[in-house]
Amino acid sequence: MNATAGLLSVHNICKSHFDPNTGGQAEALQAVSITVDHHEFVSVIGPSGCGKSTLLRIVAGLDQPNSGEISVAGQRVSRPGADRGMVFQEYALFPWKTTQANVEFGLMLKGIKKDQRAEIAQRFIELVGLKGSEQKYPHHLSGGMRQRAAVARAMANNPKILLMDEPFAAVDAMTRQRLQEELTAISASERTTVLFVTHAIEEAVFLSDRVVVLSGRPGRVIADMKIELDRPRRWDELAGEPRFNDYREQLTRLLYGANAPVEMPL
Amino acid sequence: MTVSAPPSRLPLKAWWLAWLIKEIMPFAVGILIWQALSALDIWPSVLFPSPAQVFRAFVTDLESGILLSSLGVSLISLCWGFFVGAAIALPLGYLMGLHSVSRDFFDPLVNLLQAIPGLAWIPFAILWFGLGKGAVIFIIVMSVFFPILHNLLTGIRLIQPVLIEASQTLGAGRTAIIRHVIFPATLPNLMTGIRLGIAFGFRSLVGGEMIASTDGIGYQIFNAQQYFQSARIVVGMLSIGVVWLLLDRLLLRPIEQRTTMRWGLLREGIENT
Repeated sequence: MNATAGLLSVHNICKSHFDPNTGGQAEALQAVSITVDHHEFVSVIGPSGCGKSTLLRIVAGLDQPNSGEISVAGQRVSRPGADRGMVFQEYALFPWKTTQANVEFGLMLKGIKKDQRAEIAQRFIELVGLKGSEQKYPHHLSGGMRQRAAVARAMANNPKILLMDEPFAAVDAMTRQRLQEELTAISASERTTVLFVTHAIEEAVFLSDRVVVLSGRPGRVIADMKIELDRPRRWDELAGEPRFNDYREQLTRLLYGANAPVEMPL
Repeated sequence: MTVSAPPSRLPLKAWWLAWLIKEIMPFAVGILIWQALSALDIWPSVLFPSPAQVFRAFVTDLESGILLSSLGVSLISLCWGFFVGAAIALPLGYLMGLHSVSRDFFDPLVNLLQAIPGLAWIPFAILWFGLGKGAVIFIIVMSVFFPILHNLLTGIRLIQPVLIEASQTLGAGRTAIIRHVIFPATLPNLMTGIRLGIAFGFRSLVGGEMIASTDGIGYQIFNAQQYFQSARIVVGMLSIGVVWLLLDRLLLRPIEQRTTMRWGLLREGIENT
């Protein structure tokens, strides 16, 4: 059945979970299929409660779907693995490890020698702009720095695809824009394949090659839009770019339009 | 008093002075009040010995060697009791925390037994081990075990699931999760358990020695009471306190400073947050 090309194939995922209000099952995802190509940056966007985070967790192997399947590079996956790195909204750094040891964690599990580990970690720590903070513990880092460390940790492990679950939702607006600019630059230079979940339309347009739109609960794919903007992207350049605003308007209409449920975030 | 200023900002001499004030002051004030109360001469000294009397008794017991030898006996019992208790509590705690069938089986038993004070085991301790060290160690084991187990289980329940998930997405299997996530994440609660375990162990030690032994600091306190040597009772009581303080300052706190405080999981207080 794996005729689809692409690095990641999400095929016909259905997911429902226990609803404490009704005592029955609530449908969260309905026959969701998404393909992500090599080196592609794809965002999944949708109203809160549409199951986009659940979808990402299923891809990561942290949740199990009721039906459907996930393949990475043609291999079916159902459990968590180092081939799918993940960046969490709440950073999820190990408080008992320094920045460097956090970034080295996956490499240590792979049994890579200490010198080589340090070398790889150093490269990614510099890439995310954390040089000088190698020996600091997470509680001494700001929110933005913690998320940089989490990105470095996931990328240093050389995953086939990087999964990001609203990674910049917890930082302030200015830091968020800087992190977004850094992420586009890094993912372009490292040719990282990214599946990014967000509820922020501008963020999705700014970062992505493609934006997949999910409907409100239960989540279904209602649009799959190519974003054709030049890279590298910067906020000061894109703010006045007519195509950027076109994409933003189209997505806004899709999300807040006739298909959308009444209750909407922001 | 700004004694919490970083040492580097003060000249060395001033820093030592600040440290001395911080460490000694509370005790000096305590002794002063004690001295003032006994100077009022309200109670006879057998009921309320003065600091000077206690100090003289301390010197006598120190010179005769009985203080250090009985403290030594007590500490050896405490060490054995603590290590045996911890050696059972730690594996059982991780087993119960990580394996739901074990938890369901052991939880009711542990819950029942933890309400029974360590000292309630004295009769059986004497029947099984006779008067002496064996009985005392057994009582300490029964006192140390539960606080360690309970706090360890709490620590396991408090682990943020996202940390385990993060380690899984970095390639961690079950063994790596236990070693690199669950073990360090439970350290703060484990340290609390160890602290409480030792404190409970101390209490049972003294109680146990009074009844089930013929040696050790608890026995000496009991013995002094028989001869109305009140000052010696206080010497015994205070020496337990001093041993605890030394243990806390020289062992437990340095461990905490190197681990949980350094990681930001535990603070000295809430004033700087």
